[in-house]
Amino acid sequence: MAIEIPTLPEQMPNDAPRYVGKAVNRVEDPALVSGTVQFIDNLSLPGMLHCAILRSPHPHARILSINVVAARAAEGVAAVLTGEDVRRWTNPCFTAPEGWGNYCMAVDKVRFVGEPVVAIAASSRYLAEDALELVEIEYELLAPVATPEQAMAHGAPVIFEERGTNVMLSRTYTWGEVDRVFAEADRVVSRRFRWNRVGANPTETFGCICQWDLADNSLTCHGSYQTPRFMAIGRAASLNLPANRIRIVTHPQGGGFGGKGGPRGTDIAALLSRKAQGRPVKYIEDRMEYLLAGGGQSWDRHYDAALAVKADGSVTGFRVRLVDDQGAGAEGYGTISAAKPLAAFTGNYRIEAAGYDLTLVATSRAPTYPYRGYGPPPHNLVLESLMDCTARELGIDPAELRRRNYIRPEQFPYTVPSGNEYDSGDYEAVLDRVLELADYKALRARQADARAQGRLVGIGVVNTVEPGVFDWNAYATVGVPGVGVPEGVKVAVDLFGNVTVAVGFNLQGQGQFTVAAQVAADYFGIEMAQVRIANTPSDVALPHFGQGGSRLGVAVTGATLGACEKLRATLCKVAAHVMQAPEDAVALRNGRLHRIDAPEHSMSLAEIAGLMLSRTDLLPAGVEPCPEATYVWVSPNRNAPDDQGRCRSYLTAANATHIALIEIDRDTGRTHILDYAIVDDCGTRLNPANVEGQLQGGVAQGVGAALYEEYVYDADCQPLVSTFVDYLIPTIHEVPMTRKDHIVTPSPVTPLGAKGCGEGAIHTTPATLLCAINDALAPLGKELLETPASPHRLWKLLREHDTAA
Amino acid sequence: MASTQRIEVRVNETTYVREVEPRLTLADFLRHELHLGGTHVGCEHGICGACTVLIDGHSARACLTLAVQANGSEVSTVESLRDRDTGALHPIQQAFVDGHGLQCGFCTPGFMMTTLELLRDIPEPSDEQIKEALGGNLCRCTGYQSILESVRLAAQRMKSNAPA
Repeated sequence: MAIEIPTLPEQMPNDAPRYVGKAVNRVEDPALVSGTVQFIDNLSLPGMLHCAILRSPHPHARILSINVVAARAAEGVAAVLTGEDVRRWTNPCFTAPEGWGNYCMAVDKVRFVGEPVVAIAASSRYLAEDALELVEIEYELLAPVATPEQAMAHGAPVIFEERGTNVMLSRTYTWGEVDRVFAEADRVVSRRFRWNRVGANPTETFGCICQWDLADNSLTCHGSYQTPRFMAIGRAASLNLPANRIRIVTHPQGGGFGGKGGPRGTDIAALLSRKAQGRPVKYIEDRMEYLLAGGGQSWDRHYDAALAVKADGSVTGFRVRLVDDQGAGAEGYGTISAAKPLAAFTGNYRIEAAGYDLTLVATSRAPTYPYRGYGPPPHNLVLESLMDCTARELGIDPAELRRRNYIRPEQFPYTVPSGNEYDSGDYEAVLDRVLELADYKALRARQADARAQGRLVGIGVVNTVEPGVFDWNAYATVGVPGVGVPEGVKVAVDLFGNVTVAVGFNLQGQGQFTVAAQVAADYFGIEMAQVRIANTPSDVALPHFGQGGSRLGVAVTGATLGACEKLRATLCKVAAHVMQAPEDAVALRNGRLHRIDAPEHSMSLAEIAGLMLSRTDLLPAGVEPCPEATYVWVSPNRNAPDDQGRCRSYLTAANATHIALIEIDRDTGRTHILDYAIVDDCGTRLNPANVEGQLQGGVAQGVGAALYEEYVYDADCQPLVSTFVDYLIPTIHEVPMTRKDHIVTPSPVTPLGAKGCGEGAIHTTPATLLCAINDALAPLGKELLETPASPHRLWKLLREHDTAA
Repeated sequence: MASTQRIEVRVNETTYVREVEPRLTLADFLRHELHLGGTHVGCEHGICGACTVLIDGHSARACLTLAVQANGSEVSTVESLRDRDTGALHPIQQAFVDGHGLQCGFCTPGFMMTTLELLRDIPEPSDEQIKEALGGNLCRCTGYQSILESVRLAAQRMKSNAPA
């Protein structure tokens, strides 16, 4: 039976949905504000040991010897783990592309500062750290590979000796007649850009408790896991266990943003448990470990890019050469973030041809991991900065140049040169609304006044397309095979008509439990308080992925509705039987199952569920006593990529335009954000407060990436950032309180018309701020094409100008 | 065995007497000795503010305070906020819920304890005073706008509930 999932809220069996589309309070929040939520470090198990890890102080060195005799004899120590154990029992992690993975701890040599070398499990974390001080390690230093240039140079030291090269992947994508459009262009606008490393830094670092059952040969891992099933499969591969003997229990997480990490810490704690006769071992990563080499470093990029432009301002071609410094290995799947831009390579524009020359390089920096946005934030910064450069060269207002190049509403569904299909949108409506909201003309007047006084005031007008609801096919060309990302739930009605939605993921902050509760409550016409969302461990959960790629709001809505639809069919069948009506004569509407021909005859959800569970004598033949249904939702109509990586990948294409007014302090180089306006279109807003929270949170991270955050390494690949004193997370003083409005173009292809909306703001804010900064610098004839545009970088640029003047 | 020291601390109106190592942080003492897990630890070097508690009424970083330093003190944590008898949320907690002032909720106890001190000292704070007070707490999820709104809401409600 084909399941029809409502594509608009009004298609649910409810005359007046009470929750979907409203900024209802989140079901997550009472426990979170009470401090009673069981984040991983709040859990203790009987007999539990605590893990501490000794990490490499060198970026590249051979391990000559490790002496753990004194450490093993120290107070409270139950197990010591070194590379020898790891080599004997495990495999290097799988990577994309394949073959660039490390073991969970260094074996024979270290490849980056912060790589685990020895791990100890003791009766307290304090004692475990004491014992680490007794470990003696002899290293033979090897030359580090500090930059991609060094990495690719002839005769460079090789980080993965078995590979024989530091180049992980190098390929060129050609979409359309790129050479022709550049040859026929009236103008080619090109620049080089440098995006320095930033990363997720959720407020809670990674943590886990692993217990290896030696009798059963099984492993249970409690932890702050973003993608539980994926984590289980990975552990099976690395730890040589059957996948069905691994149980991942994911706990609520203090943020994730893709950069939680986890595999290394989990494997180390698991192996320590194995060595400690199956006692549970807790590992809580501390912030310095996270900053040195956790899952929090992303996007270390060197760009050389160009637009082909006609005299009238139409942009016909976009060419990008990217050298991406992945650090020492591909364990974090930082590689595939270089492929995500294929889903929206040419942004909001009708650019007809594009080329992407992509090189992924290993260096002695820490391996890179995903971070919210997963690649497009730097890519959009390049594209949008080039649009602004073009506008300046042509003397066209940057908003007007963009408008001229927009994909028009009647062109959807629209296939971009890099292959993805955008579902819907009205970019001009979004632009018009934000120009009005920001009072763009007044901003320009304000800028003119300020410039007349010699002040450096600039405006950024930047639009982006946010690919939402990711699919593996987007990453196939860098080595991740697969089409479709399933998300499964079970919807169950109990004896009293309460509803439980069982899911495979846990809280991370975006509010998906609330979304599932809103949808289930409106579908069955019950109170939201009657719906409970329950997490299931990975070994019994339905196929699922969890948070990632701006997918889960849409995916959990689809899965919940699919299960509700299946359950409705069963409930109607039972109701028809007991009401002695034909099977198709009963319908669910407003929370009751009623006879279509005689609506006064109806039954409640509780009556039907109670009957199914406790009066099986009244059930029709062949119906199980089970008022429950499962559904595994997957994006419809996805396909395998062609040889140029083209496919229908991300299901939705939300869009947004941001306008920022900034001023650069001439004396300090500090950028002050004076005004900030956002208009976005992510289709149906399932919970507008959730959407606004995603937008504003993305702005904050965008501010950090554009102005403050940077993982700095010295010329020998020593990290110079190891605390929040060095890595500058924006505070309430740096993040603008934004003005927001929206347009709603429901997606024609998703449950209830919602589009992915978790990453749009971080896609847009860095470009908006850099464009505003360069607009401010324009009268000086200066450009800054590097992030973060920190006070120091801007100050140096301004001094250069003053010295020259 | 490292030497220990006897401390007596009153936490959320209960007196605890314990033997602790001098190096034990107040955060670890609260979380792992007293099992008050609501005081979260985000950086352990005093920047993020997730572990903010009140010591004798003053906001402090539990990660930078040793348990022995709290000897003889009165400590309040997020667990003290809900009404003991009814379980009702404190107006600050309710305002964070209603104002969508949290996402992952990990930093939230620190923000709320800082807010508790702020609104006690300045019942009608300006936006600038709110920002000044919360400038030492990091939130990676919300972008602070909804936190600012939640604190405004809490101030407004606490003022209207205050005895005349």
